[in-house]
Amino acid sequence: MVKEVERAGLPVVHMCTVTPISMTVGANRIVPTIAIPHPLGNPALEPAEEKALRRRLVERALKALETEVTDQTIFED
Amino acid sequence: MKLEIGNIFIKDIQFAAEAKIADGVLYVDKAALEKVVLADETIKSVTFDIAKPGESVRITPVKDVIEPRVKVEGRGGIFPGVIAKVDTVGSGKTHVLKGMAVVTAGKIVGFQEGVIDMSGPGAAYTPFSQTLNLVMVCEPVDGLKQHDYEKAVRLAGLRVAVALGELGRNVTPDETKVYETCGIKEGIEKYPDLPRVAYVQMLQSQGLLHDTYVYGVDAKKTLSTILCPTETMDGAIISGNCVSACDKNPTYVHENNPVVEDLFAQHGKTLNFVCQIITNENVYLADKQRSSDWTAKMCRMLDLDGVIVSQEGFGNPDTDLIMNCKKIEAEGVKTVIITDEYAGQDGKSQSLADADASADAVVTGGNANEVVILPKMDKVIGTLDYINKIAGASAETLQPDGSLKVELQVITGATNETGFLKLSAR
Repeated sequence: MVKEVERAGLPVVHMCTVTPISMTVGANRIVPTIAIPHPLGNPALEPAEEKALRRRLVERALKALETEVTDQTIFED
Repeated sequence: MKLEIGNIFIKDIQFAAEAKIADGVLYVDKAALEKVVLADETIKSVTFDIAKPGESVRITPVKDVIEPRVKVEGRGGIFPGVIAKVDTVGSGKTHVLKGMAVVTAGKIVGFQEGVIDMSGPGAAYTPFSQTLNLVMVCEPVDGLKQHDYEKAVRLAGLRVAVALGELGRNVTPDETKVYETCGIKEGIEKYPDLPRVAYVQMLQSQGLLHDTYVYGVDAKKTLSTILCPTETMDGAIISGNCVSACDKNPTYVHENNPVVEDLFAQHGKTLNFVCQIITNENVYLADKQRSSDWTAKMCRMLDLDGVIVSQEGFGNPDTDLIMNCKKIEAEGVKTVIITDEYAGQDGKSQSLADADASADAVVTGGNANEVVILPKMDKVIGTLDYINKIAGASAETLQPDGSLKVELQVITGATNETGFLKLSAR
């Protein structure tokens, strides 16, 4: 999906937990997430903390989307 | 460590008033076993049934398959840390009820439980069509949470297997096999010219009903470590797994791991079987990195020449597999990996979710997406209520004529990644 959408001309950020797979399949902008059963959340946190975590992840993804890359890049923070 | 395995060949199972083994026949006292199961008050009821090879019988949903064993000499007991007290097992003498299995079934726990057909085309895909199966169908009390139900059935199956194993304590085995490994220094001195080989076993530990236990410890909370391979023969590793039936390792497979078996067969001849390294398959990237780092580090510290790596399950554990392979090869240790494939029903998709050039020696258990038709059986032990929902099935699985159209994924052990299979190809 990531590759096909990019082929159509739109930049894509792949948010995922297992970044090595994302690298293998050829995503260009990768944002690491929390865990496979809950990539964009963390049930161990209080609701307010979790909301903040989600916002941070989305903001990081949006920043990655507007960043020019020349090679496959993992946006750690 | 040295372990003597005494196999008692079981040729038939019958229900009787008195439990015993006589002339290769296992007589099962249903009422006594019922008590063993219902000792856990979260299990409402249990029924026992016998399924024999060649019968027109389908067992589903299958949770675990267990081989009854009993420790007759040496430290500890079977399933240490779970049923027996914690003590290091793997030495002394163990009796095995060979040719039979305890199969746990009943109302579904997760959506990844299996099918065992005792005859027809499905029987060729599961090794458990060849065993005399004592099937226990458990029903939980109302309102029991899924994970508590999984635990209750897991432990009940092990308790029943231990109770049956006990019947073999004073029976003279039909066959005896001896398994012995050396200490590190002893092995180098004894076999200076033989390559040093270990078995790296990856244990399913994704959580959410996908778990394995080592001496009672949840494998997702462990760091990669070393076992003497005979420990697994005494039940050091047990399955607590509702992952896809085709490529999970039931407890029976841990007790009879063919990689361990085959490495022992070559031990002292073509190689020096140094040890078994166990590692996990967790759902956090940091865990995957740490566990594979530790596995590779141990391979180096043990001065190994080669390892065989087996995976359990599929999907994200493909990354653990490739990380292990890549990092162990980078330490100068050769690897062969055993996996299976999810290549689509037409076999044309990428087989693994991850890949690397260092994975250049791969053994496959087959394509789990391959579709097979399993004809209707005269009898079902368990229930077909969930058959359209288990992993590898679809809304069209149950056909109007009663046959099942399924992917191999639903069949217990069909693409096992330790090679515990009947089918092979060149």
